[in-house]
Amino acid sequence: MAEKCPACGSCGMPLEKPEDYALGDVTRPYCRYCTDARGELLPYDQVLETNARFYVESQGVTPAAANAMARAMLADMPAWRGRN
Amino acid sequence: MQAATRREQKVVTRDRLVNAAMALFARKGIVATTTADVARSVRMSHGVVFLHFPRRDDLVIAVIDEFGRRLAVEFRQAFEQNLGLRAVLQAHLRVLAEFEPFYARLVTEAPMLPPKVRSTLMMLHAAVSARMFMALERDRKAGRARKIERPLLFNTWIGLVHHYLVNRDVFATGASVIAERGDTLVNHFMTLVRP
Repeated sequence: MAEKCPACGSCGMPLEKPEDYALGDVTRPYCRYCTDARGELLPYDQVLETNARFYVESQGVTPAAANAMARAMLADMPAWRGRN
Repeated sequence: MQAATRREQKVVTRDRLVNAAMALFARKGIVATTTADVARSVRMSHGVVFLHFPRRDDLVIAVIDEFGRRLAVEFRQAFEQNLGLRAVLQAHLRVLAEFEPFYARLVTEAPMLPPKVRSTLMMLHAAVSARMFMALERDRKAGRARKIERPLLFNTWIGLVHHYLVNRDVFATGASVIAERGDTLVNHFMTLVRP
């Protein structure tokens, strides 16, 4: 099997290189897209919007479908688990 | 030392389960396969499977993640070598060929699968789309491609590939439609993006 790399605890993005991590710090649990300039985790709604936009821009799905898929993706992530 | 051995054993067991699940999903179908089927196929107790993968969907996602990891390795190599769209398409097909029987089932059953599984597949598509678009832009700047909107660039490619995969029984004489038709699909697609 391919060598496993860690994944962002918020969105699941593979963390392959130091620059993928918040502040380029490989000890941090989240990626650079899910964190602010201080390396802190962004609010859920902002992470949701970023992920939904990724679906829309890449495949042209409707905003509603993108939002539902992003919600499903985030639901089991350690950062958001247990959230309604 | 003992803890390390236990951890290693856990990884080995997990990998065995993922491989067994992938084979069963491909043979029997994803919707029709249960975690009990996976346990039987590797002669482990259902409890062991449950410990690693509480739901069948977790196993499906683990296989998709494995596919994604392989794809990331291939794409990274293509980008480090500064290669264009053709190389990205070839890398995509190389990994698809490795996972072909499972992947064909996955795309056939996608609309029937739970939202989390479908979202994971669509996220993988998003990553492929991003790589394709970056490579197209690189080719465009070099005068080798024309401007194409990102969603249509990806959807045209994936529509073509999925059609051959879903109907692989009528498009291939052997086990792999990607092996038999992959070059033709890449060549055809590259003619579509020419300026």
